[in-house]
Amino acid sequence: MNLEKVIFGFFIILALTLNVGFVVGEISTPGHHSVWMLFFALLVSIVTTLLKIGDRSQIGAIFLSASLVANLQLIIATTVWAVGEGGMATPPSQELMVTIISLAFGALVANIVSVMMLVTDTLMSRR
Amino acid sequence: MPASSELDRVTAVVLQYMRAPFLVLLATYAVGITGMSLMPGLESADGAGSMNLFHSFYFITFTVTTTGFGEVPGQFSEPQRLWATICIYTGVVAWLYAIGSFIRLVQHPELMTAVSERRFARQVRSISQPFVVICGFGDTGSLLARGLSDNYRKAAIIDIDEERIKALRLRDYRVKMFGHCGDASVPRHLLDAGITRENCRGLVALTRSDETNLKIAVMARSLNPRLKIICRATSGETREYMEGVGNVDVVDPYDVFSRQMCTAIFNPPLYNWMQRLIGALDFNLETFVSPPVGKWILCGYGRMGRALREALVNRGIPTIIVDPDSESMDPQLPIVIGRADSRALAEAGIDDAVGVVAGTDSDEGNLGILLSARKLKPDVFLVVRQNHHENELAFNGVNANLIMQPSLVTARQILQMLTVPTILDLRRYLRDEGLAEVSRLVTRTHGILGRERIHLWNEALGGPDCAVTSLSEKGVVPTLGDIQRMPMDRTHRLKVLALVLQRGEELVMLPEDETELHKGDEILFCGTDSDHRLLGANLHNEYTLHYIQRGTEEPRTLFAAWLSKRSFYNRKVH
Repeated sequence: MNLEKVIFGFFIILALTLNVGFVVGEISTPGHHSVWMLFFALLVSIVTTLLKIGDRSQIGAIFLSASLVANLQLIIATTVWAVGEGGMATPPSQELMVTIISLAFGALVANIVSVMMLVTDTLMSRR
Repeated sequence: MPASSELDRVTAVVLQYMRAPFLVLLATYAVGITGMSLMPGLESADGAGSMNLFHSFYFITFTVTTTGFGEVPGQFSEPQRLWATICIYTGVVAWLYAIGSFIRLVQHPELMTAVSERRFARQVRSISQPFVVICGFGDTGSLLARGLSDNYRKAAIIDIDEERIKALRLRDYRVKMFGHCGDASVPRHLLDAGITRENCRGLVALTRSDETNLKIAVMARSLNPRLKIICRATSGETREYMEGVGNVDVVDPYDVFSRQMCTAIFNPPLYNWMQRLIGALDFNLETFVSPPVGKWILCGYGRMGRALREALVNRGIPTIIVDPDSESMDPQLPIVIGRADSRALAEAGIDDAVGVVAGTDSDEGNLGILLSARKLKPDVFLVVRQNHHENELAFNGVNANLIMQPSLVTARQILQMLTVPTILDLRRYLRDEGLAEVSRLVTRTHGILGRERIHLWNEALGGPDCAVTSLSEKGVVPTLGDIQRMPMDRTHRLKVLALVLQRGEELVMLPEDETELHKGDEILFCGTDSDHRLLGANLHNEYTLHYIQRGTEEPRTLFAAWLSKRSFYNRKVH
């Protein structure tokens, strides 16, 4: 066990769990989705990206690209929420909520890929 | 310029076939359209009686091509109807004539050859990996192509026989092999096959006649002075001439086999070890081939008989020849004249002979010799020459101790020259070293590789993602022993064995595990399939290589590097 792996794994899995927490619920019901959850999901996702920078191996490249995809989707989701009618002050309309959750769902898939790769990479190296 | 003359020829053929049909079509259309416009039509609401030129053209277009799509003309007048009928009949006939000529054109042999030559040249140009040109796709050529495909090497193949090229297209190779039907001794075809290209790794001339092979070698040498040329030659005369061409490697299957035979007699462990290395299909560890020392009977004194006799007599082994043809023979030779039947074999003294070689150029003759020799002396060592690949089943049926297939011997030798050239140096080295070194090597091979099926490959260090290079740049030079560790557990060794290390011009035979590796080294390995892949993973992932070299993980990301530096600092402080 080493500290580097613990921190690395912690953030990657946290990014996934926060993302799930935000997405879960009725897709068009604004009451089911908290803007704070989205904010933290985005924050942790960016931290994960920073942690992944510098790996020159093949798997490192895929790791980073999965993270970039998650960032992109979450940033767009946040932007849509912020500039949509009413801004973040009022709950978004149903149509807007559907767009936001769809985008966050995409980020969720990218995060699942990340976690799967983390697990397989660890199992494969067998040491 | 060959290309433009090619184009001229194609243009000439096209013109010759299509000029008349074009003129006929043009005339039919011109007359039809003009006539249609001149025919008086019914008075219509907008006052126009006859059709205008554009409408006539439109009408003729869809009628004479039998499309029959009617949208523009309204009601026709009688003269218009008459003219339309004439147009349809003449037009359809003109079209049929034109289409017929076109079909004859595309079937024209000259044009087909030109088109296929073009296609072949274009396919060869599209190859970006190293490739080989093979002239002649007979038994040997197809064995060689199969071997190259197993090594993922592409080839451009020329054969004069259309049927052989068709057969080539039906094979399932792992990589694309391009074939072309043509005379390989024509320089144009050699150029199409890409012998002047940068990534052409060699030309192999394997046509049926030595004469043609010689011609190909001469042509290729004049076109590309630096090309590696390998030629099959079975007569000494041609061989000398070819060596005169300059830097041509000549492969004579009988010569190669005689040398193998001598190795098998005087150094059986080396022979059997080499057979295992090259992955001979018929080889298994239980059959240890060891031809005895003593008197040998050579049936047939042709190319094979001569080569074998020379090799054996030079090493002090007595031979006696059985051959029906006494004309061209040196009368000093110990010879029994006649067909090699039981009587002749007895006369040659099979009772005190240890081995019989059936080496004539007729397969049924060889099988006959084999059977009568077995009957006369059941424990005699039998070597038989199998000339044609399709007789394989019959040869497998009789229990010969050694089957010599000239095509297989040639193909293997050439394949090694092309893919793992240093194995030939190793073989020479081991032959000179003698039995002790060989038995040490054999024991080592068994220790590391066990009884598994192995193959040979060449590993070149220093590609774009070569881990050895990037580690060397950091000042830690990996050794041969390092890269042969298991990536999962560095205390275990991969089932691979380095045989030859090539650094520039220098060759290191059986390099030690402590040998440091540098960019540009080429290593000949033997090992199992799965460990070949693992070795590749070691060589292409610098983190893996770092681990197996040191036993510690190198921090991969910038964050991890920062963290490890910090914790190292902390440990020092406390």
